[in-house]
Amino acid sequence: MKNILVVDDAATVRMYHRKMLGDAGWRIEEAVNGLEALERVMNQPPEQPFDLYVVDINMPKMDGYTFVRELRRLPQGTQVPVLMVSTEAQPQDAVAAEEAGANCYLIKPAKPQDLVLTAALLLGDGPAARRAADAQLQGVRA
Amino acid sequence: MSLNSTELLDQFILEARECLENIGHRLLDVEKSPSDTGLLNDLFRQVHTLKGNCGLFEFKALEHVVHAGEDLLDRIRSGQQRYNPEIADVLLDAMDYTSSLIDVIESQGKLPDSAQERSRHLAQALRRHLGEPAPAAVQSAPPATTADTPLPDWIGLAPPEWRESGRIVVRYRPEADCFFKGEDPWRLASTTPGLLHLAVAPDQPWASGDAFDCYVCNLDLRLVSEAPLAEIEAHFRYVPEQMALWRMPDAPPEPALAPPAAAAPAAERSCVQMDLMNTRLQQIWDDQRRLLARSGVSAGTVASVRQTLTHLLICRDDPPLIAEARAALGRIAPGPVPLAQWALQYRPGGTDMDIEGPGQAAASVPAPRREGGTAAEDGSTERGQKVLKVSQDKIDRLMELIGEMVVAKNALPYLATRAESLFGQRELAREIKAQYSVINRIAEDMQHAIMQVRMLPVGIIFQRFGRLVRDLSKKLGKDVSLVVEGEETEADKNVIESLADPLIHILRNSLDHGLETPEVRLAAGKPAQGTLRVSARQEGDRVMLTIHDDGAGIDTDRVRLKAIERGLIPADRASTLTDAEAVQLVFLPGFSTSDAISDLSGRGVGMDVVRNAVERINGQVELESVRGQGTTVRLTLPLSMAVTNVMMIEAGRRRFGVPMDLIVETVRVPAEDIHHFKRSQTTVLRGRIVPLRSLSELLGLDNEARMNDDGELAVLVVRLGSENIGLLVDNFHGTSDIILKPLEGVLAGITGFAGTALMGDGSVLMILNPKELV
Repeated sequence: MKNILVVDDAATVRMYHRKMLGDAGWRIEEAVNGLEALERVMNQPPEQPFDLYVVDINMPKMDGYTFVRELRRLPQGTQVPVLMVSTEAQPQDAVAAEEAGANCYLIKPAKPQDLVLTAALLLGDGPAARRAADAQLQGVRA
Repeated sequence: MSLNSTELLDQFILEARECLENIGHRLLDVEKSPSDTGLLNDLFRQVHTLKGNCGLFEFKALEHVVHAGEDLLDRIRSGQQRYNPEIADVLLDAMDYTSSLIDVIESQGKLPDSAQERSRHLAQALRRHLGEPAPAAVQSAPPATTADTPLPDWIGLAPPEWRESGRIVVRYRPEADCFFKGEDPWRLASTTPGLLHLAVAPDQPWASGDAFDCYVCNLDLRLVSEAPLAEIEAHFRYVPEQMALWRMPDAPPEPALAPPAAAAPAAERSCVQMDLMNTRLQQIWDDQRRLLARSGVSAGTVASVRQTLTHLLICRDDPPLIAEARAALGRIAPGPVPLAQWALQYRPGGTDMDIEGPGQAAASVPAPRREGGTAAEDGSTERGQKVLKVSQDKIDRLMELIGEMVVAKNALPYLATRAESLFGQRELAREIKAQYSVINRIAEDMQHAIMQVRMLPVGIIFQRFGRLVRDLSKKLGKDVSLVVEGEETEADKNVIESLADPLIHILRNSLDHGLETPEVRLAAGKPAQGTLRVSARQEGDRVMLTIHDDGAGIDTDRVRLKAIERGLIPADRASTLTDAEAVQLVFLPGFSTSDAISDLSGRGVGMDVVRNAVERINGQVELESVRGQGTTVRLTLPLSMAVTNVMMIEAGRRRFGVPMDLIVETVRVPAEDIHHFKRSQTTVLRGRIVPLRSLSELLGLDNEARMNDDGELAVLVVRLGSENIGLLVDNFHGTSDIILKPLEGVLAGITGFAGTALMGDGSVLMILNPKELV
């Protein structure tokens, strides 16, 4: 099962992501800031690596940018896609995310199906991506 | 988004309250040190988190306000805007309102429509400080297109349920060069409020081959939304000239349009669905290419891009393509450039794949380097103390249970006595007693532990003071700095809760009557800024709270005058009182009346109310005042009021309990040492005259206090306010921990009793309230 680490200081957002992404069939773990996330990454058993990081930007102790930059220096962090999800809607924030090494950037609140679709694509989970695309256009108020 | 699952909503409310509390706190802190960037960042983050959370729900009214607040704070923390008291006012207002909305959400699960108006107002007030027009102003200039022109033909393709009257139909044709203007048409369209349907088609036929330019936007987006027109106009406010809007008419449009392809929607839709996924796929694909093109992209990022591209390929359901592309990927050299070139060859999400042969064949890619576990070695991470949030009900339930347990365990000694006296089982009685002491110890530990859970720092109520002092002193034209000490001192939740009102009362008095205006202070040779000091500390099993102001102090002459005027004390007595004693007059019930406070430059507003509230939780109030120098109020409170330790006494052949907090001492006084003076009795203890009252007389029992065999009378000395009084009782018994239950129902009106307690043997013990008795 694909393993996702959700990094966000807002408990509500973590719960929301856990619900959305968990319902899509992935395993979710959480960290409350970049520093804790980094610790989690380092202590993650090699047989159960994270397959995707869903990261907020503005967090105490260590923000999302720094986390991604640090992550990219770790052997465990180089191959793994990072999806940044933040309320920062300014173009320069997306640019900063890119600079830090995030693979994709979504503006919070991400519509559930868009979040799932994006995560599915980043994870290489085709069936989940198709389901999410279906759901998004089913006229369901996503 | 209709994801209002209760669990998530509860979490939202919990976190929102937490954020709001922190925001309120920080706002006041920031006012004190407006240049503290750490503080500002923290404040900003709290608002930011709150806004982000609001966005997850459809709490638009809430989000508007918080968003405006966030924008304002962003300006402040980046130094573009100076923090000033007006800004603080608007922000505090906005947060108060937000807080009230959270309450509404909690009780009703949604926001009332009326919230929109007020929140727009507040958001505008906030945005005024940003110097930018409020969104409402933008909305007032609607796009040139009108919502009243006839509907376009294509809407006939939409299923009937989308064509309900009042829905808004939107056609959005982004400009060809919109990508260069920082626009993201797909994102804009797909985040349309109330979106029901979204279809995308090329605006013009796609150019093929070299003529194709991926930077030219060629889209025709059509959508149906159920949001109000104004909201949609606001959403597309930056691209009004590229929009066309229609409102669904009241009558279903089918007859007029009746397109021949009425059966087509299904097919078209599935095509669109595929498109949606592929569009997104292509977007991310292009994102990765852009990422590779950045200067100084790290090796780690390149590896992640590579992985992401592979994943994207996998998602594209086209096995030959995947195989081909992966093979090519396996052959390329490391580094961003070859990967970018490889990525450029494919358009996995594009409508048509143009797959060219691999541009360059290169040596195989070395596996990503693994440089060992330097980082993994410091794995012994010690996380901070985990905090568990538990609802108050659960703790109260625990408290009740342990209360019952304490009472139930007390039955064991009775049982032991019965076993011995009734059944002659001395051995069994001994064992029961031994077992009892074990259970007793565990129960005590448990009780202690649960009480610890209920302990809260007094800072919780102090927090409210900052705002109170700020608002009130401003209103009164006074300059007051609030100093808070010992916020971390803990006391039982009930104590803390019942303290809040008296404390606020005291503070208000200080601000209103104690502290002077800056002019008066300067004239008196004091600093213009007055100081209000609230401090807390623990002393034994009591919590001491001190509220001190350096104001004018209490005008004792006026107090004397007032007291005489109100008939509270005779004039001759008033003149013999020392100043310290005169100050105490303010505690007399009836001392303060509304007309007395306005001109009384001291305390006096409902101090009897304060005293009652404090004494109800077994606390004491002391008041000290020096004219011209200030006033100090001292509150002494029990740490906990869940369990009361009482002494059992006997009077009129009945047992009663008296709270140990009130008992000064128990003495046996020889009958001849009791002096009778008219109808009153006194005795001398430790050189002080102590008035004596017979308890059975006070209770209306017709027994005289009994003497013991040595001709001594049992005197229970209790503290009543600042004086001691001796109660003549028949006998003293041991002490016991009891759970005090207040008198309820028809008994509630009975004075003289603090309540009842259930004893271990099943009997009910009446707990006396000596203050009411005497």
